[in-house]
Amino acid sequence: MSTPSLPMGGWAVAQDGTVLRTLLGSCVGLTLFDATHKVAGLAHIVLPRSQGETETPGKFVDTAVPLLLREMGRLVQAPVTPTACIAGGANMFATNVVNTIGRQNIEASERVLGEMGIPIVGRHCGGEKGRRMNVNTTSGRISIEIVGEPPVELQHNTLRVSAPHG
Amino acid sequence: MTPDENVLSEPQLDVLAQLMHGGASEASTALTRWVGKPTGISVDSVEQIPLSKATSVLGAGDEPVAFCVAGISGRLTGQLILAFDDESGLALADLLLGQPKGTAADWGEMETSAALETTNIIGSAYLNALARTLPAHDGTSELLLSPPRFNHDFAESLIEFALMTQVAGSDIVLFARARFRIDGEAVAWTMLLVPDAETMSTLCKLLRAE
Repeated sequence: MSTPSLPMGGWAVAQDGTVLRTLLGSCVGLTLFDATHKVAGLAHIVLPRSQGETETPGKFVDTAVPLLLREMGRLVQAPVTPTACIAGGANMFATNVVNTIGRQNIEASERVLGEMGIPIVGRHCGGEKGRRMNVNTTSGRISIEIVGEPPVELQHNTLRVSAPHG
Repeated sequence: MTPDENVLSEPQLDVLAQLMHGGASEASTALTRWVGKPTGISVDSVEQIPLSKATSVLGAGDEPVAFCVAGISGRLTGQLILAFDDESGLALADLLLGQPKGTAADWGEMETSAALETTNIIGSAYLNALARTLPAHDGTSELLLSPPRFNHDFAESLIEFALMTQVAGSDIVLFARARFRIDGEAVAWTMLLVPDAETMSTLCKLLRAE
């Protein structure tokens, strides 16, 4: 089963083989996956910092990561120990402003995930093309589709040993 | 800027729609000369919608669309986008190249060039006319179109990219949409005028002052 494509600033957590999807341009798709509980979360991130904004937590890196962790843990009713993958941040028309935002989103994702001790095990970022991102919540496999190019697969680690979150 | 500062009332949106419609007639004349057939362009809506719904403005986001994007500078800043589904875009190329409809099968150099030049002609004519109808602001009197660029990509990715500077300041986004007729038939082209965050702020101040 696939969920509807997540809009800008949207987020979702799911398990049991549900496929989470989103379409990305210069935004960043950030996914967390816990192989033990087979649960995944995906956020369609628009900007790096929330600066106190709390109504749309999926829109910002610094609020989306804690949100996904919390909701994944709530869904499986246990602390989770995820790995992360990120994709997106394209500069579709070489616009400096947008390019900067895309790069800032990627850098903020790396920083926030690093601070929370969540390893990034796959990334597919930059370039000038949009991406369709599909996340399988059972296998942790991510399919990245780009118009006119063969699909690319990213894979979350199947095992991660460290202190759980949540 | 808080989201509330970017929200316009219905009467204010109507005023903005009338301003945006001012350029359509001149753009239509330019398009008629360019394609050699009677055409009509109408700015049928100025929409202000939540960010969560914005990416569906070109229809099914999963479908690839062809589009040309050009930057706008001067009194307004933002982006002008002309988007086509493949069938309509390639039919435009057939029309301009004087070949039977259905001849162009893919986005090659000639087809891409036809789309880019069409965007340039429509966009420039539209902005020239719009510049004469917009209220003066900070002494700036002109609207300029940068050379357009072509792409073929997911519709949703395109819209996301175009709205990126607006969403930094608000969860509400605004754009004007124009539709086209050629030789009496509606064609599946869409022109979007997407102001950036700075212009959004200026427009809101101007419209509230009226």
